[in-house]
Amino acid sequence: MPLTQDLLPPDLARRLQRLELVTRKVFRGRMKGERRSAKKGQSVEFADFRNYVAGDDLRALDWNLYARLDKLIVKLFLEEEDLHFYTLIDASPSMAFGEPTKLEYAKRLAAALGFIGLIRADRVRVETLGGERSPVMRGRRGVPRLLEFLEKVEPTENVSLEEGVRKFCLRNSGKGVVVLITDLMDKQGYEAAMRYLVAQRVDTYVIQVLSGAEIDPDVAGDLRLVDCEDGDMAEVTISAPLIARYKETLATFTAGAQDYCNRRGMNYLLTSTERPVEELMTTWLRKRGLVR
Amino acid sequence: VNELFRNTLSPAQWAVLAAVPPAILALYFLKLKRAPLEVPSTYLWRKSIEDLRVNSLWQRLRQSLLLLLQLLVVTLAILAVLRPGWQGTKLTGGKLIFLVDNSASMSTRDGDGDGGADSESRLVAARKHVAGLIDQMDNSMSAMIVSFAGEPAVVQPFTNNRRLLRERLATIEPTVASTDLKGALELASGLASPAKTQANGEATDAAPADAEKAEADVRPEEPATLFIFSDGRFGDVKDFALGNLDPVYVPIGSDQTHNLAITALETRRSESDAGKLQAFVQAANYSDKPADAVVELRRGERLVDARKLTIPAGEITGATFPIGEANAEDEGVLEARLSSEALAISKDQLKVDDIAYAAINDSQASRVLLVTSGNVAVEQALVTGRAGRLGDVTVELPSFLDSNSYETRAAAGTYDLIIYDRCTPQAAPRSNTVYIGVLPPGKAWRPSPSPQPLTPNPSLSVPQIIDWNRSHPLLANVELGNFDIVESLLLTPPAGATALVEASEGPIVAVAPRDTYEDVVLGFPILVEIDGALQRNTDWINRLSFPTFWLNTLEYFAARQTVGDRSLHPGEAIELRPLSPATESIIVTSPSGKAETLRRRGEQPFVYRLTDELGVYRVTEGGRETRRFAVNLFDPAESDVRVRIDETPEEAEQALVASIKIGDLDIAASAGATPARHELWRALLIAALCLLVVEWWIYHRRVYL
Repeated sequence: MPLTQDLLPPDLARRLQRLELVTRKVFRGRMKGERRSAKKGQSVEFADFRNYVAGDDLRALDWNLYARLDKLIVKLFLEEEDLHFYTLIDASPSMAFGEPTKLEYAKRLAAALGFIGLIRADRVRVETLGGERSPVMRGRRGVPRLLEFLEKVEPTENVSLEEGVRKFCLRNSGKGVVVLITDLMDKQGYEAAMRYLVAQRVDTYVIQVLSGAEIDPDVAGDLRLVDCEDGDMAEVTISAPLIARYKETLATFTAGAQDYCNRRGMNYLLTSTERPVEELMTTWLRKRGLVR
Repeated sequence: VNELFRNTLSPAQWAVLAAVPPAILALYFLKLKRAPLEVPSTYLWRKSIEDLRVNSLWQRLRQSLLLLLQLLVVTLAILAVLRPGWQGTKLTGGKLIFLVDNSASMSTRDGDGDGGADSESRLVAARKHVAGLIDQMDNSMSAMIVSFAGEPAVVQPFTNNRRLLRERLATIEPTVASTDLKGALELASGLASPAKTQANGEATDAAPADAEKAEADVRPEEPATLFIFSDGRFGDVKDFALGNLDPVYVPIGSDQTHNLAITALETRRSESDAGKLQAFVQAANYSDKPADAVVELRRGERLVDARKLTIPAGEITGATFPIGEANAEDEGVLEARLSSEALAISKDQLKVDDIAYAAINDSQASRVLLVTSGNVAVEQALVTGRAGRLGDVTVELPSFLDSNSYETRAAAGTYDLIIYDRCTPQAAPRSNTVYIGVLPPGKAWRPSPSPQPLTPNPSLSVPQIIDWNRSHPLLANVELGNFDIVESLLLTPPAGATALVEASEGPIVAVAPRDTYEDVVLGFPILVEIDGALQRNTDWINRLSFPTFWLNTLEYFAARQTVGDRSLHPGEAIELRPLSPATESIIVTSPSGKAETLRRRGEQPFVYRLTDELGVYRVTEGGRETRRFAVNLFDPAESDVRVRIDETPEEAEQALVASIKIGDLDIAASAGATPARHELWRALLIAALCLLVVEWWIYHRRVYL
């Protein structure tokens, strides 16, 4: 399937196999996973001892120690658990710009991240802000289903960022990692949406995708700019100061978003559609700690 | 403001021009139909625009840099149309006449430049002056251009079409002719004053439309400004009233211009050996320093001789060169030139007069006819050794005058000189004549109120000679005070005649021109026949002056025909007599090789007028080159190329350029001599063009400030 190959080239997949998703927060997985958690649990791997308190599972008592010291000591084992990994794609019309389109880029990114999650036996789910959601997938066998779902994702009618995120949070109460792939271009602002995610107490990664034309616009003349989402029109006469001012505004905007996210324990990442997904995965996200 | 700007457009044109900037602005506002462009979000753009709106009006202007540039281009164009400039003389009056001297001296290269051959000639400088004045003309002005040298020529009749004036101005070419201002003035005033315009309008039938326009332009009460562009190398113009012409004299050239010139080149037989020719060269130094001039003399292609002449400042020096055989053969062209080294050293600025030409014709004895019933004295005087070499003398009896052969030869101009001794032909022949003791036929020499055609002139007994014309070549070296005359006619010479010998009662010997010939009348016979025997009427025959006079006569009339003609001035017509009476046409080839075939009616001699080039012209008759004649400048007024300076003592220290005198009016040289206005419109248009290029570049490269 050429499109699938497009979303997740085999070459990229091979390189991604070595990676795994990381979360800095402690989450309770619903099922045993391959993930060694910070939580102590019931694996075969010994972790620590502690004194018995009433209510502890008697099966964890170290009887040998009790025999020797006459104290009730509980053996603690490392817990291995799975991870809830959500990818939230902004499929608003504004994402349909760029070469490749921002949506396309977002889908590739989602495919790559989902692939990592699936091969590490995490619970992977992809949703769009418009409300489309994939079933929860787990294990390597979920990869084709993931790609199939992603292929079907098309730009939907405009849903505000806040609305989309709010619905997502209502639908998914589970904790885990949420990667929000969006251009953040919402006239109502992104802050409300971010607050929902903060409240959800999920490990949030915000990846802002912008097209090259947005970062460095190549336009000239007297233009009437039409907003593809709400039809808003802005009449501009392109001049060097205007371009400079635009870039300045963009820089302020992205810096503001980064600042906002960092203050709230979220990770923020700005990328251009011109940056290859592979490079983003293997270098940038690795540095940011989303993958390892 | 009038000094700084000059209006060139009519109000309607101004209205159109004034509409251009608003039109550009309007186009810019109409252009607000902006190209729609869909973008992901106008969010950032809006924020950017809002930021910019905070800024001043200047920001908004900066955005429309192209508009600013376009307005600037239009502003420059409008300024250019206003023709800003300075230092111009304001032209007044509606009519201007430009008289441009294109005589030989105007070829002097003493204008802008290093003084060498690349310098601007005076004619070019004059053309520039005129062009500058034409540029200043308003639409309401009309101008006429007249060039003058030998013949004045209307280069362009009155018109207000400046482009046409400039085009026609460029057609004025230098000539080699002398200056004749009076003719130009007459032409100009004729064309400028309405009474004569009609006639002149017909005269310029080559351009009837222009002539009509000239008539239409002429208004009787309007005076015209007359600009004279010349180096002042002409005499005062007398007997001319300028009328309503307001003259302005613009001297062209400098008074420091040096020039060496050959002012004469003549050939004559050697005094000692009649088979040899001598050339007499005269060179003049028109400068304030003595000069060494090397004169090279070439005959055909061959260098005959070269000699160094040292000429004091402002003087003339002559030299005689032997130039070999009198027989012309193929070397009929004699050329004298000043060597280029000498010219370079003395900074000679005028080339035309550095070369002189002389024609050497085949030495054929001139034919002299003496018609006499017997005159030993004259016959003897005509066959002396020297006289014999000058001409073939044929002696005939008076009865020969009635023969057919005489009539044919006389009409064909076969003889160079006919001497009638006490006999009169029926009609004046086509040749120079000397009448001894009789009057020529016709009325010219008779007293005018004569009731009868052949009333004899009063006779004088023993006239006393009181004076004779020593300067005339016929009387060169002749002393006449020492003989007596028994009886003589008192002459009444016709108009234009020169009295050669005057008795107390009046002239007794005179010379008068007749057509192209000259008649000499001796009022007294040499010998008279009394009672069948010849007796002396005068004892002049015993004096040395008698043979000298006849030798002079032969030389004057006959000898100059043989060796070389007198050099012609440019533009002068020449009468060419054919060798054979039957010749119908001859061909004259100019020095540049232009051949013209001349035809004649009946027995008339040929007349050739196109002597506009310097050099030797060749006459071909019946396929054979029969004669040559030379055209030379030989005009001290043209060769002295220094601008005339007022030499009145009180103004000597200022060395003012001399005024010229027309009629009773002194016309001072116009001060500064640069009436041309400095115009800015070219620079403005170039700036506009540069702006346009910048604008194009900005538009094309999307460069924004």
